[in-house]
Amino acid sequence: MNRREAIRRVALMMGGAVSAPAILGVLAGCSAEPDTEAEWKPTFLTQAQVALVAEVAEIMIPRTDTPGAKDVGIPAFIDKMLKDVYPEDEQAHFFAGLADFEAQAKRQHGRTFLELEPALRTALVKEVHDPAVEVERKATLPVAERDRPFILMMKELTLLGYFTSEPGATQVLQYRPVPGAYHACVPLAQAGKGKTWATETSYRF
Amino acid sequence: MAAGNGSFDAIVVGTGISGGWAAKELTEKGLKTLVLDRGRMVEHGEYPTANMQLWELPYGGRPTQEDIDKQSVAERGGVLSQATKHWFVNDIDHPYIEKKPFAWVRGYHVGGRSIMWGRQSYRWSPMDFEANAKEGVGVDWPIRYEELAPWYGHVESFIGVSGQAEGYEQLPDGKFLPPMELNCVELHLKQALADKLGRCLTIGRTANLTAPLAHSPQRGTCQYRNLCWRGCPFGAYFSSNSSTLPAAEKTGNMTLRPNSIVYELIHDAKNDRASGVRVLDAETNEQMEFHARVIFLCASTFGSTQILMNSVSSRFPDGFGNDSGELGCNIMDHHLGAGASAVAEGFDDKYYTGQRPNGIYIPRFVNIGKDKRDYLRGFGYQGGAGRSGWTRLLEDPTLGADLKTKAAAPGPWRMGLTGFGETLPYHDNRVTLDRSRKDKHGLPVLTFDAMLRENELKMRKDMAAEAATMLEAAGFRNVHEYDGGDVLGIGIHEMGTARMGRDPKTSVLNAWNQMHACRNVYVTDGSCMTSSACQNPSLTYMALTARAADHAVQELKRMKL
Repeated sequence: MNRREAIRRVALMMGGAVSAPAILGVLAGCSAEPDTEAEWKPTFLTQAQVALVAEVAEIMIPRTDTPGAKDVGIPAFIDKMLKDVYPEDEQAHFFAGLADFEAQAKRQHGRTFLELEPALRTALVKEVHDPAVEVERKATLPVAERDRPFILMMKELTLLGYFTSEPGATQVLQYRPVPGAYHACVPLAQAGKGKTWATETSYRF
Repeated sequence: MAAGNGSFDAIVVGTGISGGWAAKELTEKGLKTLVLDRGRMVEHGEYPTANMQLWELPYGGRPTQEDIDKQSVAERGGVLSQATKHWFVNDIDHPYIEKKPFAWVRGYHVGGRSIMWGRQSYRWSPMDFEANAKEGVGVDWPIRYEELAPWYGHVESFIGVSGQAEGYEQLPDGKFLPPMELNCVELHLKQALADKLGRCLTIGRTANLTAPLAHSPQRGTCQYRNLCWRGCPFGAYFSSNSSTLPAAEKTGNMTLRPNSIVYELIHDAKNDRASGVRVLDAETNEQMEFHARVIFLCASTFGSTQILMNSVSSRFPDGFGNDSGELGCNIMDHHLGAGASAVAEGFDDKYYTGQRPNGIYIPRFVNIGKDKRDYLRGFGYQGGAGRSGWTRLLEDPTLGADLKTKAAAPGPWRMGLTGFGETLPYHDNRVTLDRSRKDKHGLPVLTFDAMLRENELKMRKDMAAEAATMLEAAGFRNVHEYDGGDVLGIGIHEMGTARMGRDPKTSVLNAWNQMHACRNVYVTDGSCMTSSACQNPSLTYMALTARAADHAVQELKRMKL
């Protein structure tokens, strides 16, 4: 964020009632512009894996009147997360699960997942997803110790990437970076736009 | 060895919660004070992630494997994230040995853990200072609540503590700024506890400003972002950086030297006092000495203990000031991770605006009055209610456009309570210096040998069960008890390794945090604690530090140091 942008944001956020500490504070936090991903190429997944991951993510969070998983860069997010955040055993678990998923498409339909018609793709995702959700609901182990299957690793990453993205946070949820006040209990419709606040969730779940 | 730049009236080692207070009080009372911190400089406002938007943090905020390799202890404590990782040490550069598991969560930079503390600020009660003597546990505190009460007030007025006066005997009121609000589910629980169980619930008492402080114009009021751990660009919560260090700076009496690792106190055998400190420059490895009339050790519980253990002389062969043999013993922490959560129905037409950086507090109710349990002491609860967000959808069968619709609607209200349990001082819970193992600066490392014992384990069962009882009393659904287990250190409330006491044979410090065996050395961080109570300890460290600084200045005037 550059200084001009910082000042503009403070003014917008705080509706003119900007104290000196507030302006100084925001300026002190200025840093480099965020990365852009215009010319993105995967560095960990293969192109074929990325293509499948992108379609599964888009089935989970499609483009509607708001952007979908592909629009906000979920394939790139997952590529980066797997490479840098996941330990080797979980990477292997993801790849094995992805291969099983592809094998299931071939077994049931004689074609790869990406060769299926959109309705069949969605049906296959649901077929794998729903029983996995049932298992997750009954899970009692701490989150870190759960061996989530491929489809739920996909879902976790898609949810995390999407709802921490600017479109997910600001268009689907509501985002107010500097609320300025706390009102503990208001009618839902009067809590901003009445939508879930984007800012109050854990990045581990 | 190089001589430092002249000599000072006072040296303060450390700039965290305690060191910042020592610096402020000593400089305001006119002492030329050298303030040393082993880490890098952090000026107020130099908080790299403080203004980053949600989407500007890489990896959705999660730490990478590389981060975890370097900062495994912070990861174990669940506090490592892209927003906060720069506040935690590299454990490869700064190792320690665990005979038994111990999470030593540290931040080596100016301001220390005052940047990422939890801000909960509770007074101890008369009962807490009396318990050891009454029960014959450890040694008696050499002070009582009444002696500390004015200093609590002094500290609260300066740092700004938001809270509600309640008149609880076991949790004395302080000088409060206006309280933050309880939400409707929390209010419902408060009423149910009062009606059905005769128990109390109050809004957390937190060092976040809900009103301006005239004496600290550099600090603004809370903007309800709940991103405190990044460092507050508004200066709205208390940290050394936002509050005490600027106050000390303003006097013109402070020389602040970062990157200065104090590894030894110098004993002057002729005068039987500490003449100064030996310092290793963290960047250049240059060694130097600084001298002063009085020394305040505020390097954190184990930081100060490590320095004392490493300071051996003919007078102190077993560590500086360690005539009693208690240095390094009696490690305490608060044991956490046991409690309960539930779903609150009937409030779905209500929500909140703003993110409150604070929760609720349920003061201790066990082993008080007629209540008797099969263990000593007790616990308080912290927690709160909120509406769940999109993460709940991981275990929801909904996919596609409907998933977006569901995510946009706030989820069910959930209420959680986590116990904070008192840990007794056990002589055998200890830390020692291993001279055969060195850190990257060539300094010997600490070995931890401490564990929860029977009293704590019994208490934990009650912490989970009583939380469930209270949530059920409120009529909440799906009450789920948990005990995720606990190792010492995870509370990040470590205390006790240079305790205060009346008898030099069984304690390291006297009633003024002054070393029994060396009167011009004061230790005022968590190591001084004689028992742990169950309240968050930082406010007590601050009050003890201010009181000790006042004593030191008077003693200097009387030429007694």
